[in-house]
Amino acid sequence: MSKSVLTLAVAATFAALPASAQTIDEKLQILQQEIDQIKAQQAGKPAAPASQSASAPTDYGTMLDRSSGLANGATNIIGYGEAAYSKFRESGNATADLARFVFGFNHRFDERLTVHSEVEFEHAVVSADDQGEAEIEQAWVNYKLSDGVNFKGGLFLIPIGILNETHEPPTYYGVMRNQVETRVIPTTWRELGVGVHGLFGEGFRYDAGVTTGFDSGKLDDPLTGIRSGHQEGQLANATNLAVYGALNYRLPGLLVGAGVFSGDTGQNGASNPALQGVAARFTIWDVHAQYRVAGLDLQALYTSGTLGDADKVTAAMFSADPATAFAAPKSMKGWYVQAAYHVYKRGNFDVAPFVRYERIDIKQAEDPANGLLQDPRNDERIKTIGVNFWVHPQVVLKADVQRYETDKTQNAFRVGAGFMF
Amino acid sequence: MICAARRLLAVLALALVATASRGEVYQEPAAFIAEVFGSLPAPKVLWLTKDLQAQAAAILGHPPAQLRQRYWSDARRSVWILEETGKEELITAGFVIADGHIDHVRVLVYRESRGQEVRQSSFLKQFKDAKLAQGDRLDRDIDGIVGATLSVGAMERMARLALLFDLLSHG
Repeated sequence: MSKSVLTLAVAATFAALPASAQTIDEKLQILQQEIDQIKAQQAGKPAAPASQSASAPTDYGTMLDRSSGLANGATNIIGYGEAAYSKFRESGNATADLARFVFGFNHRFDERLTVHSEVEFEHAVVSADDQGEAEIEQAWVNYKLSDGVNFKGGLFLIPIGILNETHEPPTYYGVMRNQVETRVIPTTWRELGVGVHGLFGEGFRYDAGVTTGFDSGKLDDPLTGIRSGHQEGQLANATNLAVYGALNYRLPGLLVGAGVFSGDTGQNGASNPALQGVAARFTIWDVHAQYRVAGLDLQALYTSGTLGDADKVTAAMFSADPATAFAAPKSMKGWYVQAAYHVYKRGNFDVAPFVRYERIDIKQAEDPANGLLQDPRNDERIKTIGVNFWVHPQVVLKADVQRYETDKTQNAFRVGAGFMF
Repeated sequence: MICAARRLLAVLALALVATASRGEVYQEPAAFIAEVFGSLPAPKVLWLTKDLQAQAAAILGHPPAQLRQRYWSDARRSVWILEETGKEELITAGFVIADGHIDHVRVLVYRESRGQEVRQSSFLKQFKDAKLAQGDRLDRDIDGIVGATLSVGAMERMARLALLFDLLSHG
């Protein structure tokens, strides 16, 4: 049986030989490689059924001269990473850090059902004595009815801002991610939940869903708004859930979009009993735009959020531990504008200097009687000037200088490198 | 009020069924070829010799998966059905080349749950009349789509490959 298949394959191939170009030797060499491949396939796979069912995927191999098909059962590996050297102006200190390395597995069960995952290691070493973290950044299942209707469930990224869903180092400017989408929008922000997403019209994409939310009883950082109250799918308190929605319009070179997320964060006092019965609703929204034309790359984002019952959250923190308590964030705003220009493009090389101006304004619910006051560093303006140098579309070298108007200890010169695959 | 809600649910259900029937195979390759030529002509074969494999690898950034490339042509046009990985999975696209220029492009199968914007006409029309320039690159920049960087790159690589294959198919 296998010999006759091989014979037929060789005969069919000879029949299709063009009369031009390549020599007989080259054609024979190619034929030998194809025969070897067929033998390898026959040795490794069961014989194909005599006929395919009507629901079987189309055999594009006959069109493409390769056996790709819809690749059901296929597992893909993706990844990205970045490293940075930072020289701080005020202290004179310098650090070098493998900021993150991320890998992920994506698996296709059939034509509609897929699973997506990312595992992240931050700061190279993870142990009780080190600052590194190992975390699941994404783990979700997608069921695709069509481009217009996808259902997903699991731990997934919330579609707020630009950076949260698209944060691979070659896709953004600067050695570090912008601070507005770090301190106000808590990138990389993921929640456990279910959602629906899809395309409609020419360029519109919607997202909506129900997820876990923040736990204001877990707040432990006065400088990052709601960020330190994130739960990241780690035994998340889910008494209070949240809802989100986003609408983005994408055309070549253009992105305009907006997103909103809202949910109570008191979690019935699960992390801090003083928050029992406190709603502490957190709502954040953003609008963003990106426009690329004639080598110019413009980007802007505005975001605003509020935490209800912030004074009660401040009081709850003080009652739990006066030594570590701080004034909870009650409102958080941020915006940035960024411009880059591609000054040199040749082959894979692409050089683009950029400038960015960021504004962060996080207002805290002060408790003067207990000495819990507004941290001046939450009123910040950051100027960044730098350059991205892509040596390949998926590998970038970066350098920049950052100037903080309030917290001058953060003023630094940085160089870095990043990749994605 | 309840009737209105029921009507809304019924409309949503119908919309769901309508969109669900479209699936992710936008057009069968054979149908695309037949649309170009009016019928499905006999395929021709371009053999990927070592030199051509090296040229294709330089464009793709990896060795080509195929040892020969089937194509369809008449006196003026050729059609190439190619596949390349976007972020995670293969994109299948059809390229029509006429007189060394891209006549039009269509995404035939898109498998990932993100980045489908590359199949929209606003993106694909950028390839219209593109030709090969120095270094087997396109003679123009293709504007990307935020969030679909790797799928855009895959489409651009396939366009370059189709133009190269067309050039070499003329001997």
